[in-house]
Amino acid sequence: MVYPEVRGGGWLTSTDGSRRELGVKEERDEILVRRVAESGDERAFSELYDRYVGLVYGAGIRYLRERTHAEDLVQEVFLSVWRGAASFDVSKAGFATWIYRITRNRATDQVRRRRSRVRTVGSDFPLEPEEVDPAGDLSRSFDIAAALSRLTPVHREVLTLAYMEGLTQREISRRTDTPLGTVKSRTTAALLALRESVSIIDGQAEDG
Amino acid sequence: MGEHRRVLDLLGPYVQDSLESGEEQEVRDHLRHCEACQSEERDLREVHEELSDFASLAEAPPPDLKTRVTAGLPRRGSSRIPLFAVAAAILAVLVFLSLLYVPDLFVQDTVAAATLEATELAPQAGGELRVKANDPNAQATLEVWDLPRTKSDEYYELWFGNGEGRISAGTFTVDAEGQSTLDMAAPERVGEYQRVGITLEKFPKEPRMDSAKVVLGGELQES
Repeated sequence: MVYPEVRGGGWLTSTDGSRRELGVKEERDEILVRRVAESGDERAFSELYDRYVGLVYGAGIRYLRERTHAEDLVQEVFLSVWRGAASFDVSKAGFATWIYRITRNRATDQVRRRRSRVRTVGSDFPLEPEEVDPAGDLSRSFDIAAALSRLTPVHREVLTLAYMEGLTQREISRRTDTPLGTVKSRTTAALLALRESVSIIDGQAEDG
Repeated sequence: MGEHRRVLDLLGPYVQDSLESGEEQEVRDHLRHCEACQSEERDLREVHEELSDFASLAEAPPPDLKTRVTAGLPRRGSSRIPLFAVAAAILAVLVFLSLLYVPDLFVQDTVAAATLEATELAPQAGGELRVKANDPNAQATLEVWDLPRTKSDEYYELWFGNGEGRISAGTFTVDAEGQSTLDMAAPERVGEYQRVGITLEKFPKEPRMDSAKVVLGGELQES
């Protein structure tokens, strides 16, 4: 098991200098997967699930074409995360890259299995992809998920409401009981923070 | 607040195209002459597009899926009972059961079987197929003998068929004696199939189950 020190993991220093332990929702992926590996921490596993299940399930829908197969993919991927947490090596790649590779490999396995099994004479099968994520946009989205998880809760919330739930600025203002002007400036700040977070992840990928 | 600062704050909603018309025009006017804001706008637009791609790819899974995933995880480190005690208890139960049910303990029940009869393409050949329940997928154990050896571009394919069509259960080749014993994945609803057949196929053509190529065939009988 290889777990180099992950900076910033475990504690948050507030403006008055006091320190408090980070809640599971604020922890970095790499800290959470270490908890899963070391003690089978189900809360840490649950948080990792929440952060990435949408993408794994979305990849299943896109590449396997059926919701039941996408659900199978989710089960396979997260079982692999649970079982393989001890072999995760943060010095080689971030968690997002690791779970992306698991997702791509499991989806590829399923595509091949189905291609060999589901062939009937004279029927029109849906065109299945030869390759999972040929353009790399799925990979990039896992990086974005990792970058989102590093934002502060308020920044993550404003982006999630806008992009995942499709709310307008005014709707976000009402939902969060926040002045509209604050929502607008917070949206800008959140996007800038996300850009910074993405560039850090990109830098780590280049170093790795 | 100065115009520059105010426009900077609005750039996020601007790239999202979510400003009202008056503010949008204000930002557009400012961008014409402010290089710093133009640069910021390009960066924000890039991350906005990546976030949009992310959002279009991600899908909300069924709410109960998380419960199913976590319920299927092998437990570890949560038992207060020493592992050796658990292992000893399991061993004792297995020994006891093995005395009572030796023939059945480790053998899965066969749910269907077929005797495969030769066709004129391979008159000496024969085979047996047994389908066993093995959740989540049924498993088929196939044994064949005296099948002609395949050429380098040929292979055999096992099919399950019914009145509506056929489904492949996988491919195989045989050894020098024309024999093969192998485990293959049976269709998920194997009870819906009444016939099985083995065809000789050729790369790179798409496999077909026309009768001319069937080398073995049989009826599935429920056990």
